[in-house]
Amino acid sequence: MKIYTGSGDRGMTSLFSGERVKKSYERVEAYGDVDELNSVLGALVAALPGDTDAMVKEIQDIQSDLFHLGAWLATTPDSPSLSKIEKISPAKINTLESAIDRLQERLPPLQAFILPGGHLSAALAHIARTVCRRAERHVVLLREEYISNGVTKQFEAVLSYLNRLSDYLFVLARYCNQMREVNDIPWRK
Amino acid sequence: MAVQQSTGAYVYSTELLERRWISDKTFEIKLARPPGFQFEPGQRIRLIHEKIERDYSLVSAPGDSNLVLCIRHITGGAFSSILVDARIGERLRFSGPHGYFLFYPSGRPAVLIATGTGIAPFCAMACSGLKNFTLLHGVRSSDELYYASVFRVRTTHYIACLSAESRLPRGTFRGRVTGYLKKNLPVETYDFYLCGRSEMIRDAMAVIDDRFKGSFVYTEIFY
Repeated sequence: MKIYTGSGDRGMTSLFSGERVKKSYERVEAYGDVDELNSVLGALVAALPGDTDAMVKEIQDIQSDLFHLGAWLATTPDSPSLSKIEKISPAKINTLESAIDRLQERLPPLQAFILPGGHLSAALAHIARTVCRRAERHVVLLREEYISNGVTKQFEAVLSYLNRLSDYLFVLARYCNQMREVNDIPWRK
Repeated sequence: MAVQQSTGAYVYSTELLERRWISDKTFEIKLARPPGFQFEPGQRIRLIHEKIERDYSLVSAPGDSNLVLCIRHITGGAFSSILVDARIGERLRFSGPHGYFLFYPSGRPAVLIATGTGIAPFCAMACSGLKNFTLLHGVRSSDELYYASVFRVRTTHYIACLSAESRLPRGTFRGRVTGYLKKNLPVETYDFYLCGRSEMIRDAMAVIDDRFKGSFVYTEIFY
């Protein structure tokens, strides 16, 4: 089965809401970051040890959320098609917060800044965290468009989700190192 | 009784009620509508046979009592051959509904473009009350103009685009749908709905980007 049409060969793409836009458009940047984040999470799952089924499930649930989030970002806020897309609910944010608290309880307190790295899985969690921050920065650029169309609550939920996800990925990176008995690398000034 | 898959989609069991050839290579099948199965015009179902799955857009409207699919028989094609050989009364399984190829009303005029059996979702939309649209149906010959009578009573802008007919019936366009877009459709900002083979989608998109700037485009690709 062919997966290409070639309709984007001239640098244009269609949003989910139907608009034809340049691939460099800021909304495309935003959902492109979310797509990239999803891919890095896939690499992270592949690098986890074999006895971490619950963690794999947790990360794959996040990957599913990111599919919905990407579709939401690919839809302009004044479009009727926005109502067809699953929203980021407060429950999703609560789930991330619970996961952060659960992982944090198992980790020693942080004494200093740490360098991104350590075990491969931890390094990938750090890459995911920084891609997530980039997604957040690109999403913030769309704020006015959502507010002026009365979609403020949904927009704020998306921002909160990405902010919380970055925190989760930081804690997860440390937890990955701990699981593999690799020490965090402190920053030496 | 529907069973939920790990993907969240429901799998239904249905019965093949009827098969009717509507051209040399294309047939309709009518399936019993399982209790509880709801969908919107333009959506697909995924037929499942052992490990093979194929998506087909529903021709029927949500208010219809049965589910109708329009299928081109591809010689050597795995799934269409199964459906050609299936006994009337045989049980089939499908998941769904799938897809977001729905009609999204706006102030812009709607132009629906299909090639071949890509007409199916537009039939569902028209039978669900959609009116005042322009429809381009691209086929090789006039015997492939499925559901023409459905569209003719719902729009005055039904344009059959025939690419290989020697004698052109009155009121039809000689050539492909992209040819009509380039030469005949007045320049304006539209909502385009494209359903058909990837080559048509690619070529139509290029014309839309060049000639109908600011238009919206929704696509459903038959690979």
